[in-house]
Amino acid sequence: MTLGKRRTALLSTGLAALLTLVASCGSSGPGSAGGASAWALTGGDEQTLRTSFENWNADHSGSRINAEFFANDAYKQKIRTAIGAGDAPTLIFGWGGGTLQQWVDADKVMDLSGQINDNPALADRFLPSVLETGKIDGKTYALPNNGMQPVILYYNKELFDRVGVEPPETWDDLMALVPKFKQQNIAPLSIGGQSKWPQLMWEEYLVDRIGGPEVFNAIAEGEPGAWSHPAILEANRKIQQLVDAGGFVKGFNSIASDSAADSALLYTGKAAMMLMGSWAYPTIKDSAPEFIAEDKLGYTTFPVVEGGKGDPDNIVGNPSNFWSVSAGAGEQEKQAALSYLKDGMMNDSYVDNLLSGGSVPPVKGIEDKLAGAENPDYLSFVYNMAAEAPNFQLSWDQALTPRQGEALLNNLDQLFTKQITPEQFSANMNKTIGQQ
Amino acid sequence: MAVNVTRTRINVPGGVLAFGWLLVVLLPVYYVVLTSLRSMEGFYSSNPLLPPAEPTVDNYGRVLEDDFLRYLLNSVVVTLGTVAITVTVSLMAAYYVVRNGGRLAGLTYKAFLLGLAIPLQATIIPVYYLITRAHLYDTLLAIILPSAAFAIPLTVIILANFLRDVPGELFESMRLDGAGHWRMLFSLVLPLVRPAVVTVAVYDGLQVWNGFLYPLILTQSPDQRVLPLALWSFQGQFQVDIPAVLAAVVLSTLPVLALYIVGRRQLVSGLTAGFGR
Amino acid sequence: MAVPALLFFGVFALVPLVGVVLLSFVSWDGISGMSWAGLVNWFNVLGDSMTYQALWLSVQVMVLSWLVQTPISMLLGVFIAARGRYRALLGVLYFLPMLLSSAAIAIAFKALLDPNFGMSLAFGIEAFAQDWLGDRDLALYVVIFVIAWQFVPFHTLLYQAGVRQIPASLYEAAEIDGAGRVRQFFHITLPQLRYTIITSSTLMLVGSLTYFDLVYVLTEGGPGNATRILPLDMYLTGFRANNMGAASVLAVLLVGTGLALALGLSRLSSFRRGSQLEGA
Repeated sequence: MTLGKRRTALLSTGLAALLTLVASCGSSGPGSAGGASAWALTGGDEQTLRTSFENWNADHSGSRINAEFFANDAYKQKIRTAIGAGDAPTLIFGWGGGTLQQWVDADKVMDLSGQINDNPALADRFLPSVLETGKIDGKTYALPNNGMQPVILYYNKELFDRVGVEPPETWDDLMALVPKFKQQNIAPLSIGGQSKWPQLMWEEYLVDRIGGPEVFNAIAEGEPGAWSHPAILEANRKIQQLVDAGGFVKGFNSIASDSAADSALLYTGKAAMMLMGSWAYPTIKDSAPEFIAEDKLGYTTFPVVEGGKGDPDNIVGNPSNFWSVSAGAGEQEKQAALSYLKDGMMNDSYVDNLLSGGSVPPVKGIEDKLAGAENPDYLSFVYNMAAEAPNFQLSWDQALTPRQGEALLNNLDQLFTKQITPEQFSANMNKTIGQQ
Repeated sequence: MAVNVTRTRINVPGGVLAFGWLLVVLLPVYYVVLTSLRSMEGFYSSNPLLPPAEPTVDNYGRVLEDDFLRYLLNSVVVTLGTVAITVTVSLMAAYYVVRNGGRLAGLTYKAFLLGLAIPLQATIIPVYYLITRAHLYDTLLAIILPSAAFAIPLTVIILANFLRDVPGELFESMRLDGAGHWRMLFSLVLPLVRPAVVTVAVYDGLQVWNGFLYPLILTQSPDQRVLPLALWSFQGQFQVDIPAVLAAVVLSTLPVLALYIVGRRQLVSGLTAGFGR
Repeated sequence: MAVPALLFFGVFALVPLVGVVLLSFVSWDGISGMSWAGLVNWFNVLGDSMTYQALWLSVQVMVLSWLVQTPISMLLGVFIAARGRYRALLGVLYFLPMLLSSAAIAIAFKALLDPNFGMSLAFGIEAFAQDWLGDRDLALYVVIFVIAWQFVPFHTLLYQAGVRQIPASLYEAAEIDGAGRVRQFFHITLPQLRYTIITSSTLMLVGSLTYFDLVYVLTEGGPGNATRILPLDMYLTGFRANNMGAASVLAVLLVGTGLALALGLSRLSSFRRGSQLEGA
C-alpha cells in the first residue's frame, strides 16, 4: 500500500505550513527589530538622501538608519496607513501643513522644540520662512530635508526656436502660443493629469495671479463660501478655456507624473512647456543629462494675468520637504534619528550634493556655493525666486486636511475633464469647508 | 467524454473568431516581451511593434538587481503558507461535514456556502483594523491569514463534494478495524481525494499568487513586498524606464508559466476548480 | 474537526462583515481614535452624487462585461472543444492571460495604450492613436475590454468543458435528420449548455462587482471619475481620503448589492447552486 507515502505527504504539507508561519513571524515589522528607518520619495533629491544615509550608516554602525524610497502617490497612501497602524518609520517624510497638523493632533510625531533649545544649531541654519512650515502652534515638529520647490514653467528651447516664439509673459501670450505649437504637431503643454496634483499647480497660480494670496487664506481659515470667490471662478474658466484650446498634450489624463512621463514628453520634444515643481530639473538631469548639457531646458515664472491683483513674484509649491520623528519609535531609534538630523543632514557635503543635483536647500548663507555650483544660473534663479517671493504658498492639497485635499484634487480633475463647470466646482468645494 | 466526431467540415466563422481573438490575446504579450528587450533610446525612437534593432537583456539585469528575488521568495512563502493552511483545515472541515450527517454539520456547510457570496473587497477596512490590532501589520502572515480565510469556503465545498462520492462502506470497515477519525483522514480520505486536493491547491494558489489588495493594504516595507505589489512599485521606481517595468512583468510571470508548461492539465483543472462540469 | 476552518472563516470573514456594518456608524480617519457618528456617514454617502455614479459605473461594467464576454467565450469554447492538434495549441495560447496577475495586465496595457509612447506610434495607423485611457468617453470601454481580455479564457474553459459533456449521439441524430450546423448549435449546443451558461454568468456578474486591482492600476478611477467603480470608490474614500466611516458605508452597499444579485440570480434561474458545485 502507498498509505505511508500519503501520510508523509500530508505531514510534510503540515510541516510546510508551520515553517511558513514561523518564518513569516520571524521576519515581522520593520520598526520592531530592524533599528531606525526612514521613508522618502523617489525622483528629485533621492540621490542626495540616499548618499547621505549610506555615509551615515558607514560611520555610525550603532545608529544605522534604514532608508526606503517610494513613488509620491504610493508614499502618501502608505504613510497614512503605516502611521495609523502604529508602524511608522522613525523618520517621516512630509510637507508640513494640514497633514502635519493631523499627525500632531493624534500625537504621532515628536515635538522637536526641546531638542532645538538644547541644540540651537539644529534649526538656526535654515531660512526662518521655510522653518515656519514645520511648526504647529509655535512648536517645531518637522525640519527641512531637501531643496526649496517653487513651481516653475519649464520649456523646451529647441522647440521654441523652431517655431520662432518667445516664452509667455502673460496669460494671453500663453493662449496665443497654443495654436502655434499645435500647427507644428507639438503639444503646447505637458502635464501628468492622472496624478491630479500637477493640475492643482495651474489652479494655485491662476488664483494667486488673479486674486492674490487672500483667496486661499480665506479657504484655509474655513470661511463659509470661500470657494465661490470670483478669482476662483475666473481661474477655473481660464483652465477650461486652455483645455478647450487643446493646450494640454493629448491623453494628459492618463499620464502619470509618478512615472515622469510628463517630463519625458518635454525632453523628447513632444511637448513645448510643462508647469512643474523645481524637482523636475534633477529628474530630467537624471534621465536625460544631454538635454541639460546642451542647454535645451528653459525655465521661467508663471505668466501674469492682466488686471490681476496678485504680485507676479508670488510663488506656489513646497517650501521644502521635512523630516518628522515618529512619536511611536523606540528610544534608541529616536536617538539615532535625532543625531542624524543634527549631524548627518544638511552638512556641507549634503548641501553640495543637493546643489550639484540641481536643488537649492533652504539654508542661510549659501550664495557663494550657488555661484560655484555646476548649474549656477538655474540655482540662482530658484534661490532668488524663493528668497524674493512676497508669498510662498504651500501646495493646497498639503495645506488642507487629507479629506479636503482629496476632494479638491477630485473636483479639479473633473474640472479639467469638463465633467463639471467652474460654478459646480465652487459649490462642491464649499461643502468641504469645516470638514476635518 | 463525448466528442462530436462527425463534424469534419471547416467551421469558418468559428475559425475567424478564434484567430481574431488569438491576435487580441497575443498582441499585448508580444508587445510586452518585445519592449522588455529594448534600450531606452530604442523605446523612444522606434516603432513599438517591430523587433528592436539591438535587443538587450540589460533591463532584466536591472530588475533582478532590484531585490526581485526577495519579492519572488515572499510570494512563494505567502502562496505556500496560504495553500497549506487552507487545504489542511478545509479537508478536516469537509470530512466533518460529510461523515457527521448531523444538523450542526449541515449548518456548517450552509455557512460556507454563504461565505462564497462575501466579496473580499468589502471587508478590507475591518480586516485592516484587526491586523493592526493583532500587531501583524506589515508581515507576510498579515496576507496569509485573511487570504486563507477567504479561500476556505470554496475549498471546503469542493472537497466535501468529492468526499461524498467515497462509498460509506470503506469508512465502516475501517471503523470496525478500530480506526479513529484522524487515521481515517490520513489513510483513507487523503489518498482518495488527492486529485481534488491538487485541484483546489492550484486554484487557491493562483488566487493568492496574483492577489493585490491584501498586500497593498496590509504590508508596506520592501522586505514584505510580494510580486504583484512589486510590479506596481517598480512603476514608480523605474519611472519612464518602461522597458525595465515590462521586464519585471515578464519575470513575474515566468514561475507560473513554467508551472503551466510542466503541469498544464492540473493547472487548467485547478483554474476552473469547482466550476467546470 | 471543522473548528479550525470555521475559526479562520469566522475571524477574517464573518467578524469583518459585522465590523464593516458597525464601522459605517463610526467616524474614523485611520490615524486617531474612533468616535460614534450615528447616521452621519450614511447621510453623507447617500447624499453624494459620486456614490450613484460609482454604482452606475459598476452596473455598466457588469452588464457590458457579460454582453461582451459571454458570446466570445461560448463560441471559442465550442470551437476548441473539438479535438485537433492545432486547436490544442490554440488552447494553450488562449489561456495565457489566466496566468498573469491583474497588476501585470494593467501595467502591460497601460504601456501599450500610452498615447505618446505606446502602440499609437506603430506604423502610423490612425486608429491605434486614440486617447485610450485619457478620453472620458472611451476609458470605460477600454477598461471593459481589458477585463474581457483577462477573463474570457476562464469562461472559454468552462464552455469547453460544458461542450465536451454533450453526448455525441445528439449530433449524430441531428445529422441524420439533415439539420445544418447553425440549427445544431441553437437546438442542441445552446440548450445543453444551459447550466454552464448559468454558472459562467453568475461568476461573471457577481465577480464584476469586485474588480479592483485592474482598474486601480490601469486608471486609478480616472479620467475625472470616469472609471471610479464602486470598490475603487470605497478604497479611495477609505485609504486616500482617510474617511473610513464613509468607506464602510460603501462597503455595506457593495455587500448588499452582491448578496441581492446572487440571490436574485439563483431565484431567476431556479439556480441549484449545490448541484452545480457538485459537478466539480
